[in-house]
Amino acid sequence: MTRSRRFLIGGVIILAALSYMIYGGMQEAIVYFVTPSELKAKEPISTDKFLRMGGMVVKGSLQKDLKDLTYRFELTDGSATFPVFFKGVPPDLFTEGKGAVVEGRIGNDGVFQATTIMAKHAEEYSPHADGKGAAKSFIPGKENSAK
Amino acid sequence: MTASIGHSFVLLAFLLALVGIIAPIVGARSGDNRCLSLARWAIFGQFVLVTLAASALVYGLITTDFSIKYVAFNTTRATPIYYRVTGLWGALEGSLLLWEWILIIFAGITAALYRERHKELMPWVIVIFSIVSAFFLGVVAFASNPFETISPVPPDGRGLNPLLEDANMMTHPPLLYTGFVGLTVPFAFAMAALVVGRLDEAWILSTRRWTITAWFFLTAGNLVGAWWSYHVLGWGGYWAWDPVENAAFMPWLPATAFLHSIQVQERRRMLKVWNLSLIIIAFSLTIFGTFLTRSGILSSIHAFSSGPVGAIFLVFLSFVLLGSFGLLAYRADLLKGQPELDSMVSRESAFLLNNIVLVSALFTIFLGTIFPLISEAVAGVQVSVGAPYFNSVTVPLFLCLVFLMAVGPIIAWRRASWDNLKRNFLWPAAMALAIGIILFVWKVRDFLPLLGFTLLAFVVCTIVYDTALALRARKRIAGEGIVRGLITLARRNQRRYGGFVVHLGIVLIILGIAGSMTYSIEKEATLAVKQELTIGNYRIQFEGLTGSQQSTHFRVEAAFRVFHNGSEEGVLNPALKFFPAQQSPIGRAVHQSSLSEDIYLILSGFSEVGRNQATLKVLVRPLVIWMWIGGFVIVLGTLICILPIGKPTPQED
Repeated sequence: MTRSRRFLIGGVIILAALSYMIYGGMQEAIVYFVTPSELKAKEPISTDKFLRMGGMVVKGSLQKDLKDLTYRFELTDGSATFPVFFKGVPPDLFTEGKGAVVEGRIGNDGVFQATTIMAKHAEEYSPHADGKGAAKSFIPGKENSAK
Repeated sequence: MTASIGHSFVLLAFLLALVGIIAPIVGARSGDNRCLSLARWAIFGQFVLVTLAASALVYGLITTDFSIKYVAFNTTRATPIYYRVTGLWGALEGSLLLWEWILIIFAGITAALYRERHKELMPWVIVIFSIVSAFFLGVVAFASNPFETISPVPPDGRGLNPLLEDANMMTHPPLLYTGFVGLTVPFAFAMAALVVGRLDEAWILSTRRWTITAWFFLTAGNLVGAWWSYHVLGWGGYWAWDPVENAAFMPWLPATAFLHSIQVQERRRMLKVWNLSLIIIAFSLTIFGTFLTRSGILSSIHAFSSGPVGAIFLVFLSFVLLGSFGLLAYRADLLKGQPELDSMVSRESAFLLNNIVLVSALFTIFLGTIFPLISEAVAGVQVSVGAPYFNSVTVPLFLCLVFLMAVGPIIAWRRASWDNLKRNFLWPAAMALAIGIILFVWKVRDFLPLLGFTLLAFVVCTIVYDTALALRARKRIAGEGIVRGLITLARRNQRRYGGFVVHLGIVLIILGIAGSMTYSIEKEATLAVKQELTIGNYRIQFEGLTGSQQSTHFRVEAAFRVFHNGSEEGVLNPALKFFPAQQSPIGRAVHQSSLSEDIYLILSGFSEVGRNQATLKVLVRPLVIWMWIGGFVIVLGTLICILPIGKPTPQED
C-alpha cells in the first residue's frame, strides 16, 4: 500500500511539474492568428499578445529603407487594412500585391511591430474572389486547401 | 507501357499480401505446416514484385516517360539523372512505394532469417508484416497510384521543387523511412508474442538488434535532415519544430525509451506492459507521422499535397491502436505479477526515470504539434505554437536526461549501496564540478547553459572513469594495454561499450545544440562594395556581385572576404538562385566551420541597378559542428553494438 502510494505521489508530482511547464510554455509561445479586420474590430488592442496576421501587401504601401533595413507596409484582407513595421530581412518571396504573414505584437502607436515575415510561394497560391479568403488561406492548417 | 506493368506488379503484390495474412491464420487453425511456408513465399513474392514495381517507376523517371503523371510532375528533361532517381521519393505517391519497398525488404530478411527459429511466433510476425504491407500496397494500388497516366502526354515535366535538388535528398528520406519501417520488426514480434501469449523475454531478445538498427536509422535520418536544413535552407538553423520535423522526431523518443527499458525487462522481468506499450506507441507514431505529412492538415514546408490519403492513414492508425492495445488488454492476465522495484536508487529506477522523461518529452511535443488542431476544433480559435514552447518545455527534460545518461549505465542493479555510489560517482562528479567551476570562471555565467555543460561533462567523466577502471582490471588480469584492453572490453560486452560510445555521441550533439542555442549572434546589413560589417570577432567585407547561367537556373553570387581576429579567412560566396518556374529566388547560404564556431552568410538581396549593393545576414553559431561529429560517433557506437564481433562471456556487465 505504501509502495503504491509512493508511486502515486511521485506520479502526481511529475504530472504537476509537466503541466506547469506545458502551461508556462504555451503562455509564451502560443500565437493567435488574426486578420486585419478582426484586429480593427477589436480596437483598442492589447499590446502584450503575440499575434500572427495574414493578408496581402497593399500595392503602393511598401516603403523600404535598405540602409536601416526597415520596412513599412499595410496588410489587407479585402475589407480592412492594418499598418505593419518590420526591421530585418524579409523572405525572398515578400513583395507588394503578394500574400504575407507577419508575426509580432501591436505597438503603442497602433502599428503592428513584426518580428518575422513569412511569405507564401506564389506558384502555389491562387487568389480568392475576396481578399478575406486570401488571408484565411494563410491560416495554419488551411494552407494546402487553398491551392 | 511502363505504367501498366508497374501497376500490375503492385496489384499482384497486394494479392500476395492478402495470402500472407490469411495463410498463417489458416495454418494456425489446421496445424498444416505448408500454410506457413506458403505465407513465407508470399512475403518473398511481394519482395520481388515490389522491387520490380519500384524499378519500373525509377525506369520511368530515368527515361522521362511523361505519360506517367508522377514522372511528369517530378522530373524535367533537364533534371540530372541522380535527381531523377531520387524522384522516387520526391512526392507522395513514390514515397509510399519506397516505404512499402523498405518494409518488404525488412519482412523478407526477417522471414528468411528466422526460418527455423521462433516457430510459434513467426506465423504471426508474418501476418503483422502482411497486414502493414497490404495497407501500403492498397494505398499505392488504389488511392495514391504513382503509375497513374496522363494524357495528352506533356512535352516536358514540371520538375522537383528546386529545394529538393540537393545531395541530401539522396540520403535523408531513405534513412528516415528505414528508421520508421525498422520499428515494424519489434512491433510485429511484440504483437505475435501477445497473440500467442508467450510473454517472456523471447520477443525482446530476438528483436534487440533490429530495434537498435531502426533507432540508428531514425537518429541518422533526423540528423541528416537537420544538416540539410542548416546547410541548404539558408536560415542558419537546423531545427524549427515544424510539425513534420516533430513527426519525424516523435517516434525516436519512445524508441529510445524502449531500447533502455527492454534491458530492465531482460534483466529483471519488469516493465512488460510498459515495453509493449512503448513499441506500440513508437510504431503508431510512424503511421501518425505519415498521416501528418500526407494529409496536409498542418502547414509545413515538408508537407505533401493533400488528398484522400490522409483519411486512409487515420483509419489505419485507429485500427493499429485499437487492435494492439486491445490485444494488450486481452492478455492483461498473463502480464500480471511482475517483480517490483527494490529501491529508488538503482539502475532499473534510473532507466524507469529515463523512460518517464522521454515519454514526457514525447507528450509535450505531441501536444504542441496537434494543439492548433485541437484549438480550432474545440474553440474555433486559430493559433500556432511556436518554437519557444518546444524549447522551454524540452530543455529541462533533456537536462534531466543528460543527468540520467551519466547515472543509468553505471549505477548498480536492484539497490545501489552508499559504497557503490561513492566508488562509481565520487571522482566523476568531482571532475564535472571542477569543469563547471572553470567554465563559470571563464565566461559561462547563465544558469541553464552552465548546468547543461556541467552535466555533459559529468556524463563524459563517468564513462571515462568506468572504462578506466575496467582497463586497469584488464591490465592486472591479462596484462593488456589500453588499445587491446578496449578491444577486449568492447567484444566482451558490446552493448555496454557500444552504448557508452553512443552516449558520447549524444553528448556531442547536445553540446552543439546547447552552444548554438545559447551563444549565437546574428546581424544584418546592406553593404556597398568594399564596405564592412563587424560581428563578434569577425569582419566581413563585400567584394562584389557576379551572375552566371547554370543548367537549371540563373545564379547571382556575392563575394565576401572574411577576417577573423584580423587575419583573412578567405572569401565566402552566398548566392541567390533564380529558377524559371519560380517567381522568387532561392537562397544558397554558405558557411565556414571550425571546431569552435561556424560563420554563416545569407545573401538576402542585392541592388538590381548598378549591382553594387548586397543585403547580407550573418550568423555566428558556436559549436554547431559537434552535432555532426556526434552523429559519426553514434554510427561508431551503433556498429560496436550490433556487429557480430562479440565474444561470449560468462557474465554481463
